[in-house]
Amino acid sequence: MKRKVPIAIYFVIGQFIAFFLDGSISQALSGTLFKYPNSMVPCLTVLWLILAAFFGNVKKLHLYTWAAVIGFIFDMYYTGLLGVNVFIFPLVVYLCQTVYQILPPNFLSGFLVYFLGITVLVSLGYIANAFIGETDASVAQFLVNTLAPTLALNLVLLAIVYLPIETLYRTHKQ
Amino acid sequence: MQKFFSSRKLVIVVVCLIVSFGLMTLSVAIRDKRSTPPLVQQFGNDIVGFADRIVAAPMNGIHHGFVSTKNLLNTYQENERLKSKVDQLTQTQVKDQVLTRENKQLKRQLNVGSTLTGYEKINAAVITRTPSSWASQIIINKGQASGIKKNMPVIAGPGLIGTVAEVNKTNSKVVLVSNTAENSNRFAIQVLGDNSKVVNGIITSYDSSSNRIIMGNITSKAKLSVGNRVTTSGLGGVIPKGIYVGTVSKVAQDDYGLAKKVYIKPAANLNDIEVVSVAVRD
Repeated sequence: MKRKVPIAIYFVIGQFIAFFLDGSISQALSGTLFKYPNSMVPCLTVLWLILAAFFGNVKKLHLYTWAAVIGFIFDMYYTGLLGVNVFIFPLVVYLCQTVYQILPPNFLSGFLVYFLGITVLVSLGYIANAFIGETDASVAQFLVNTLAPTLALNLVLLAIVYLPIETLYRTHKQ
Repeated sequence: MQKFFSSRKLVIVVVCLIVSFGLMTLSVAIRDKRSTPPLVQQFGNDIVGFADRIVAAPMNGIHHGFVSTKNLLNTYQENERLKSKVDQLTQTQVKDQVLTRENKQLKRQLNVGSTLTGYEKINAAVITRTPSSWASQIIINKGQASGIKKNMPVIAGPGLIGTVAEVNKTNSKVVLVSNTAENSNRFAIQVLGDNSKVVNGIITSYDSSSNRIIMGNITSKAKLSVGNRVTTSGLGGVIPKGIYVGTVSKVAQDDYGLAKKVYIKPAANLNDIEVVSVAVRD
């Protein structure tokens, strides 16, 4: 009989694919996603992390460590601005996991918690960037032109991948 | 209920905040200097860059397929339009050749070596784009190994799109002119106004709501009108002269009514970049 591949392997490989897809999707669809003045940012990396927090075993997957590692790589490779996502990613995962445990485990609560997570992620990113003068967008511009489109895009992405990923984690539960 | 901010958690949060601000300050300081990132960071970026190519290649392939199909549908109209331009182009090209040769001869006679206009191109492909609303950055697949240095101008299609912001061994980050950061995009540019009067200035900001580059603090009285061409002026630094930036789309007064503010429509489409060239001054 074939040996079952442990879920942790799937998790790590999926994590890196999601990470690279973020950049590739931004590049391939940049005409649509970053059409002036709006910007929709795909957050597949965080999507993968949060869904792992929902369905997987946080301790066994070393989820917080991975969130910090992938956050650090994200900072280093994509933005060149260290010390932002390395802390935001684990924080968002922690928040989402804590809130999700209180709610009944179904799609709707996952949807709501993910909404919260993306809002925190994008807002903290905005605060960090505004702090160092990387952006001069006002809060109103940020809410309308960045947060709203980004939320819309990522909730659609969540709706698409929710069931397949849930099935993946369920079939690998001992 | 468990207290949310137990003293241990509070200490962790404070330490994280301090480390975060420290790292942020450090990376801003590194970026503003002319130096490249620390060797460890470069090494990490190179490895991630290699892995990224594996994922990026099929994605870019799919994108390329879509673009090709779209182009195919527009072919007829485009062909008609281009036919009318071809004759004109050949003429210009021949004239350009003659003038270049003449220019070279005259330079030799006058003993003038290289001037501000001379540059060579290093071609590179775009691997990926930063998934962030704030940093308009792309990552290209050439780095130090190919001779790219920090602050070199990057051209895509018809005109300037940005400058190299960070160089690793095999890839580099390009900050687009659409970046709104306070400390980027200070290109020296010039507008060829009416009556061949030249107005020099620098790019001061970018208006993201209308996709216009803004050239501020112009006190020159020379008349500028819509459609005038804007090129780099080659003054101050590594950017050669004569790279096309865009055309003037609006001339307005600044907030105090003392100086002029020129809105420039960028020539290159900043949101559809697949291949770029980095200009290296001779």
